[in-house]
Amino acid sequence: MSKKYCEKFNIPKHLQVPLGAVLPANKKENKGMITGNWRTVRPVIDHEACTLCLNCFLFCPDATWHLDEKEEKMVWNADYCKGCLICENECPVDCISAVNELEFKGGVVRLEKPF
Amino acid sequence: MAKEMFLAGCSSAAYGAMLSRVEVISSYPIRPYTGIMMELSKLVANGELDAEFVHGEGEHAQVSIAYGASAAGARAYTGSSGVGVTYAMECYSPAAGGRLPCQMAIADRALDPPGDFGSEHTDVMSARDQGWIMGWAADPQEVLDNTIMYFKIGEDARVLLPQFCCQDGYFVSHIPGKVSIPDQKAVDEYLPPFNNPHPLDPTKPVSHGPQIFPDQGPAIDLQRAQAFIDTPKVIEEAVADFNKQFGRNYDPFLEEYMTDDAEFVFFLQGGHARTARFAVNHLREKGVKAGMVRLRFMRPFPTEAVAESLSKFKAVGTIETSTSYGGAMKGGNLIHEVRSALYDVPNPPPVTSFMAGLGGEVVSLEEFYSMAKVLTQAAKDGKVDQYVYWVNFDKV
Amino acid sequence: MSDVYEITIWARGVVQDMEGRHMTLIMASSADKDGKFVQAWDDYADLPDRVGVPLRKYVRISDEEIEMRYEYENKNPSLVVIMDDTIVKGLNILWGMDKGGVLVVNSKRSPDEILKFIPNKDLLSKIICVDAEEEFSMEGLDFMGSEGGVEVSAVGAGISAVLAGAACHGTDNLTIDSLVAVSANKEGAKAGYESAVVKDL
Ligand code: SF4
Ligand code: SF4
Repeated sequence: MSKKYCEKFNIPKHLQVPLGAVLPANKKENKGMITGNWRTVRPVIDHEACTLCLNCFLFCPDATWHLDEKEEKMVWNADYCKGCLICENECPVDCISAVNELEFKGGVVRLEKPF
Repeated sequence: MAKEMFLAGCSSAAYGAMLSRVEVISSYPIRPYTGIMMELSKLVANGELDAEFVHGEGEHAQVSIAYGASAAGARAYTGSSGVGVTYAMECYSPAAGGRLPCQMAIADRALDPPGDFGSEHTDVMSARDQGWIMGWAADPQEVLDNTIMYFKIGEDARVLLPQFCCQDGYFVSHIPGKVSIPDQKAVDEYLPPFNNPHPLDPTKPVSHGPQIFPDQGPAIDLQRAQAFIDTPKVIEEAVADFNKQFGRNYDPFLEEYMTDDAEFVFFLQGGHARTARFAVNHLREKGVKAGMVRLRFMRPFPTEAVAESLSKFKAVGTIETSTSYGGAMKGGNLIHEVRSALYDVPNPPPVTSFMAGLGGEVVSLEEFYSMAKVLTQAAKDGKVDQYVYWVNFDKV
Repeated sequence: MSDVYEITIWARGVVQDMEGRHMTLIMASSADKDGKFVQAWDDYADLPDRVGVPLRKYVRISDEEIEMRYEYENKNPSLVVIMDDTIVKGLNILWGMDKGGVLVVNSKRSPDEILKFIPNKDLLSKIICVDAEEEFSMEGLDFMGSEGGVEVSAVGAGISAVLAGAACHGTDNLTIDSLVAVSANKEGAKAGYESAVVKDL
């Protein structure tokens, strides 16, 4: 926001919006749109049985799964997985199972507010 | 027997429509209007309301369906919010010009950008000159009552105009309040079935919306303008009948609060009146003679009533909750109407406007106090320094 | 404003949206029956139509008329209800609470297990756990995102009554008799009150 207006109108810092409400876009993860706290159950992968077919990667609506090429295994992102279980449904070898979130210590998102 | 329930404005509007025995409902979801549509769809699904429920593919279709149904002689009900209201803009003039008194519930919402669910009157205020009756309710009870009253007014043979029945999004539409729901029988006595004088009927074919020559245009416009000249009298009757039938106490055009000895008044529409009343109480505790005047109808604008009421005071501040970018007063629209109404009054009070409650911002008691400061000064000086104050931002 | 008693309810989007709203309504109606001034509403900035998204619902109870009705959220809740226990990991559910507050959790787990997930648990004077799912039947569950609407024919027919019943242990502003009177699920309200596991901290 132009300095001229901020001074003339006494606009507090947290309300100084950019011209046209245009914001810089996120290049990678969007920390402003965490969806990990939508999850009541989490998909747990059995790496032994996983064939790395990438179905889970393709179907996950939140791009939560990715292939770690060095380790040759699927990696899951707790901050964004919302527990929809589409991956569990789509896994051809049934190596993903759903487990209640409170069974795990980790995966805590704990935002101050939903948004 | 009327029964009392906790209802938000959305549900209250739906109950008002049900009691009005609407025959065709057209819908398209957009927050906060979605609540009205949801409630109506439940009432229809549960068999409590016998109506044709048509889901449009967008707001333009939705309003077209509503006035189409009205053209066929049905009592039609639709509604929207924010950008939905503006998307349907093309349909407003045909409905009003065709004299098709369907009703559109508006739970208002700020326009983009950016995405904002908050209440702001700009959406439907942009359609104020299309020939629809329009006004804001201040609480869920008034939403229900206005819904019924507006059908009565709009369908009157002297009027035949569609109606925007407006409420503030969230503040009124989503915060439940106690609502007394009248008996169906009492409503039936008040509101007779809709009688369209020129319905689309295959046995007596008529053509709606024909092409005309340009020189025929003014006469058509004159008809619509004339209907608005006749409407205030119908409103007075309809409100008086309503008060009698349901034991309410509405003034047709203006709610005045603590105005008897007020030096200045806040002039506003809609739900912020609730906070304004508390602000006035507290200001009076401190010896400041504040008052409030709430406008119940934006269209037809009650020029005489406004002039008579506001000329009693030493200063008037309009609280805009809508924008008129680049307008004569550089703020909102209310001030334009108010100053025009006061133009011929001898020694009119100075009028200024406050940009507050935009984007759904809560107009707090503190904001009312800062407006009171400006108005106290204006009452003392007999003039205003600025025609528009951006509350919180402009230094007062 | 400080003498307004604030209750915040956390629910999961869509699946608990209506029950959460009903909980606010039966709490408010019961306090209303007890002669208090009340307000019950949903958070307007939350997104109720996304499955599982955390939602806030609010109640306010006061001996005097509540002046500021239009604020968007309860900034200082004394009682917090979480309708799904996994929410403890996703949010600071005690946001805005002063020391001495009360937490009601819908869970089959024990209070101690839940407290492990609450880093600011020293704010609490009491935790109440109740397994509302056991009392809960799928009948009447409304999956429709019922934004802004209220199922007036049966308010409090499901787990809302059970949890609100349990919450009566947490504040004098809610009385079980009035709560039972205003809930559709009267058995549930009683069962919630009786089966609640209350732990003073
Ligand atoms: S549960 Fe849903 S969001 Fe989570 S990883 Fe699987 S597909 Fe993605
Ligand atoms: S879909 Fe199943 S098998 Fe395929 S990569 Fe994912 S977890 Fe492995």
